Amino acid sequence: MTGRLKLTAQLLTLACVAGLLALLVWKLAHQQHAPHVGAVAPAFTLSRLDGPGKLSLASFRGRPVVLNFWASWCEPCKGEAPVLERDWTRYRGHGVVFLGVDYHDLAPDARRFVSAHALTFPMLQDGSGQVTGSYGIHQVPETYVLNRQGRIVAHLAGPITAPGFRSEFRTALAKAAAA
Amino acid sequence: MMLRLLAVMVAALALAGPAAAASCAHPRTSLAYLEGQVMCPTCHTTLDQSDSAAARQIEAYISTRIAQCATAHQIESELVANYGPAILAAPPHKGFDLLAWWLPIVGVLAGAVVLAVGVWRWSRRREPEEPEPEGSGLDEETERKLDDLLARFD
Repeated sequence: MTGRLKLTAQLLTLACVAGLLALLVWKLAHQQHAPHVGAVAPAFTLSRLDGPGKLSLASFRGRPVVLNFWASWCEPCKGEAPVLERDWTRYRGHGVVFLGVDYHDLAPDARRFVSAHALTFPMLQDGSGQVTGSYGIHQVPETYVLNRQGRIVAHLAGPITAPGFRSEFRTALAKAAAA
Repeated sequence: MMLRLLAVMVAALALAGPAAAASCAHPRTSLAYLEGQVMCPTCHTTLDQSDSAAARQIEAYISTRIAQCATAHQIESELVANYGPAILAAPPHKGFDLLAWWLPIVGVLAGAVVLAVGVWRWSRRREPEEPEPEGSGLDEETERKLDDLLARFD
């Protein structure tokens, strides 16, 4: 009887340790990292911030896409917004799509931000941060440039107005449009 | 006279406005309470532990809603609708999330049972051996018969 009890206790302990190890492995395997340049951008469908309905990234396949992650509470986003709007009006005629993804933000504040900066490109809401997480975003603003095949051409972790990023952004746009 | 009456009316209106705004149909919740219940989405700590811009934005929203007499439950529901259930520090008391509430209790109870069994077994092992009973162990009748039998040989 004592031997059986001891064996059961040992098996239970082993099961607990195995369970904890499995949890650790699962956590490590599901850790979200920024997708690398050349990879296909993670697919998503998000609710529109600027109106009813949803938009999916797949619906823009065949066109270069500029994916900008921002939030109304983010100070650098305020400086970046007018530049993005200017680029959007400049490149939209060439078939380039700009998509704004609002990250961990209150929808009314985000709408006020869009209105205050007179942003006209489509805006999506990612309140839970699930999509943003799949892009490995931990701070905003960040911008991905995707080519017509939906592959990542550039990832700019910071405002596109930052020194060096401006020319990188333009080069990426040209590359995305050419591919 | 008319001027005085007008002044009294203006003063009454000025006092009535804030008083009406301050009264709610139910006890007002507090920012301090909700700061401990709501997570900062960017830093993964509760709002009271965070000074990030995202946390400050949510605090401002909560303050506005408290001033509008919204209950804690209403404010939490609105935040969940915007950010998802992960915005709450404690998991909901339903569905799969119930496990998060019950598992620790089950764990503590299981630990207590294991400890109790361990202590009981240990104390039994340490109990002193019972001393041999004094005497021959024979009952009185047999003892008497034996004494009589032995007496015959004396």
